[in-house]
Amino acid sequence: MPDATDPPGDVATNVIHLDMDAFYASVEVLRHPELVGKPVIVGAEGPRGVVAAASYEARAYGIGSAMPSLRARRLCPSAVFLPGDHGHYSDVSGRLMTIFASVTPLVEPLSLDEAFLDVTGARRLLGDAVAIAGELRTEILAKEGLHCSVGVARTKFLAKLASEAAKPSPSRGGPIPGRGVVHVPADREHSFLEPLDVSALWGVGKVTRERLYRLGVATVGDLARFDVDALCRVIGESAGRRLHDLSLGHDDRSVVPDRPVKSISFEQTYPTDLYDAERIQAELVRMSDGVAERLRHVGFFAKTVSVKVRLGDFTTLTRSITPPAPTNSGLEITALTSQLFNSVPLDGQGVRLLGVAAAGMVTDAPEQLQFDDPGFAGSAQNRVRDEVLDEIRDRFGPDAIAPAGAMSDGEVNVSRRGAQQWGPEGSTGPSSTTR
Amino acid sequence: MKFRCERDTLFEALSSASRAVSSRSGALAVLSGIKLTLEGDQLTIVGSDLDLTISVSVDVGGDEDGVTVLPSRLLVDIVRALGAGAITLESTDGDMRITAARSEFTVRSYPPDEYPALVEPPTEGISIPASSLTEALRQVVPAASKDDSRPILTGVLLATEGDALRLVATDSYRLSVRDVTESAVLGEDQTVLIPSRALTEVARLLDDEGEVTLGLTERDASFRIGTTTVVTRLIEGEFPNYRGLIPDHHPNRMTVNRLELLDAVRRVRLLAQETTPVRLTMSSDGLDLKAITQDVGEASETIDGIYDGEELTVAFNPEYLIDGTDAASGDEVVLETVDALKPALIRTPEEPGFLYLLMPVRVS
Repeated sequence: MPDATDPPGDVATNVIHLDMDAFYASVEVLRHPELVGKPVIVGAEGPRGVVAAASYEARAYGIGSAMPSLRARRLCPSAVFLPGDHGHYSDVSGRLMTIFASVTPLVEPLSLDEAFLDVTGARRLLGDAVAIAGELRTEILAKEGLHCSVGVARTKFLAKLASEAAKPSPSRGGPIPGRGVVHVPADREHSFLEPLDVSALWGVGKVTRERLYRLGVATVGDLARFDVDALCRVIGESAGRRLHDLSLGHDDRSVVPDRPVKSISFEQTYPTDLYDAERIQAELVRMSDGVAERLRHVGFFAKTVSVKVRLGDFTTLTRSITPPAPTNSGLEITALTSQLFNSVPLDGQGVRLLGVAAAGMVTDAPEQLQFDDPGFAGSAQNRVRDEVLDEIRDRFGPDAIAPAGAMSDGEVNVSRRGAQQWGPEGSTGPSSTTR
Repeated sequence: MKFRCERDTLFEALSSASRAVSSRSGALAVLSGIKLTLEGDQLTIVGSDLDLTISVSVDVGGDEDGVTVLPSRLLVDIVRALGAGAITLESTDGDMRITAARSEFTVRSYPPDEYPALVEPPTEGISIPASSLTEALRQVVPAASKDDSRPILTGVLLATEGDALRLVATDSYRLSVRDVTESAVLGEDQTVLIPSRALTEVARLLDDEGEVTLGLTERDASFRIGTTTVVTRLIEGEFPNYRGLIPDHHPNRMTVNRLELLDAVRRVRLLAQETTPVRLTMSSDGLDLKAITQDVGEASETIDGIYDGEELTVAFNPEYLIDGTDAASGDEVVLETVDALKPALIRTPEEPGFLYLLMPVRVS
């Protein structure tokens, strides 16, 4: 995660917060098309029941989550109450998480319907975070028929606020679409935060908000300008410092995936079969480099590397190799995948799909050192090379630099989602999976 | 072509020559064959992949001279399967009939004129006692790289050092050097780079007696051992400056019994799985070896030794450590170190012409 000393304009915004719009209610409406356009409430209707979710039509009556069902009923007597089907929501959520995982292994689910994604490692193959956010919305709508709102920012806290700003507005005639994706560039964090009510900050509930109001602090901007020591005296040392940091946009929590990453892979189906050996090699270089970058970003070394090849006649072959030491070096992975690809009998056929995968994750890779002599070009220099590479991409963007082998016609070849026409299956763009 | 010979004689000769036959498909098809040439009572068997050629001559009972090329793998399998005793081979119109006792095989042969012309080894050469070369190859060849993407490192460098023939190999992680005294067969500044694969075959063919005759041309080297000749292409290119790799000064010296060290590493290595290294802690108390594999367990062992230096822990790949300790002959080895990241040296006082330099493993 870039720190505050980075020049703001150059800092990549790689954290995505994705929040489904009225998730439970929307899922129910999909199952009950007769409810389209009606105020729908998911929740127990009994005397102690509360609203779990409300459709935007219901929200227009002032109904919101956690409101007692009786009160909701009074606000909107015509609302349709549904009991809730956690098993079904959980199934849908599982499919959503699979879509998220196809973008990055760094997915931190917050609940069934929202998650943080860190897309640093995916940018090179899939484009920047804003492009990824748009693609995610399109894919979720196409596959699940559900809408969501996405925030893109440098930190989790800002991304979450941004997704809130992207939300649709309730109306009795149905949701009025919001911006869908809100991006907070690093150099506009302050202008984005300034006007927000202090209650937008995590940890500011009713009581704290009252205390801050009494200090004359109503907006995040007010808080940012407020003397931190004075603030601590009023609301306590730790809360004071934390809120002040947040008001300045400081948030150093990283996206923590809840499941261990077991493999990282890229694969791509080509619009026409590839025959040209140089083109195939360029693709292997590009994908190997992408896998390596993602490994480094997650802080892993892979024990095995594999190549998947689907030929023109749909024969699918997979070859894997265990190098002498776990690796996350682009050069090493490229050498391995080239070697693996050469062991695949093509029998004169073209290549329909290529994939590169890394598995067997370890965090600690003892490094066999090499003699330090120019005569031994190789892995001794690889780690240094990769560090430089990562730094350049962090500062100047994913396509600022690429292995020469992945260049075509003098341009850096970085595939982006949606930038190419894919095969008849439609969804076979460059995708990655995490198992 | 027709001849008779003993099964054991033929099998041994075929096994040696077939080791040079290419196992890769896609090469010239006839190269998966083994060439048999009969002149009088002398049968010459040749296998080659064009880079490496092994030819073996044996005495047989010849009836009719001739040349044939037979599928190498099949012929070796057939002769291996036959019992001891006489075998007769007779060619008949594109086929070879092999008979022994009551067994009979007919094998389709390759057209012999498709077999490529191979490099003739130079008739002149310089002789080296087989025993000294055997030991030097055992010490040096394993340190050569097996990675074909680094062709230079897959070779063993031969050079002259004083009155000695020096052999050097490195895979960039370790370096093995051995001087064979009184065998300066090369010119003062002459160096050759011989594929380690060829030297592995030479080592396999050598026994402790007799001598080996080395012949050199600009592109090839040949090793004649009795009636067997190994011819190999030389590797072209510049070998790394290995002299510069050896630190001038090693402040820490650990002297231990060689076999004790070898046994200890072999035991502790059992818990150095999945590329985890063995950690060597050297102190005046002796040498402490330790291996830890996450989720599996750990092993440690202490051996006696004489230590001169600061207490130090260095981690090594156990295989490389074993190779070096094994390559050093003699009762004692000296492990000389600078720090945890600089190359360490294994030597033995009993054999000053040998050294093994080894890079540590960096552990976090």
